[in-house]
Amino acid sequence: MDVTGTLSISGSALSAERLRLDVIASNLANASTTRTPEGGPYRRRNVVFAPEAMDSDFASTLAALGPQGAREGVSVQKVVEDQSPFRMVYDPGHPDADKDGYVAYPNVNPVAESVDLMAATRAYEANVQVVNATRRMAEAALGIGG
Amino acid sequence: MDVTKIGVPPIGAPTPAAPGAPAAPASGAGSFGTVLKDSLAQVNQLQQQADGAIKELATGGTATLHDTMLAIEKAELSFRLMMQVRNKIIDAYQEVLRMQV
Repeated sequence: MDVTGTLSISGSALSAERLRLDVIASNLANASTTRTPEGGPYRRRNVVFAPEAMDSDFASTLAALGPQGAREGVSVQKVVEDQSPFRMVYDPGHPDADKDGYVAYPNVNPVAESVDLMAATRAYEANVQVVNATRRMAEAALGIGG
Repeated sequence: MDVTKIGVPPIGAPTPAAPGAPAAPASGAGSFGTVLKDSLAQVNQLQQQADGAIKELATGGTATLHDTMLAIEKAELSFRLMMQVRNKIIDAYQEVLRMQV
């Protein structure tokens, strides 16, 4: 059914934004984490989105032949680490301080994370609006002749 | 006007598929009953998917909130489409019943 395809596209976007929210939550939760299993402080993480063709099975691919690329969902291709320098804070008493007394704190900027958080929330809401619009269009179609 | 041009095969048209065997959905030439049965099965499948998603969500499985809502939405829309088709069939049936002989 055509409508369910549109809903699947929006669903993939909702899932992607949820994962982005998880990454932002991790960044904020680890804003002061100075030691990780890999050594060194926590590095800020970021998501990379990539388009994803929604027609998974062959029959629907055949049915959708014609306008290629019109049905592209989104998926999180990978989670990358931000390679910007760490924040150095002078704190000689800290167990993770270097020989000069400086502690490397994560390169997480809480203000920037808050802005990303708002962007993710708005993007999620926008995709919910698409779902609602799809629903309204389907309801209008069902009202034909009635 | 040729009604058969609309795409729905005429009721009672001879079906090329073997009787009893479910027609391939891509053939597009099943009888009216087969089409109806197929769409009913699809509605049922979507309802079961929605049920499964709700269960998964309630038991703390891997389902997310929006996936569950989308499954419910798909099930509801397909159900309403089925109800509209049913209304049309009943209307046509009653129209035939009212026919003067």
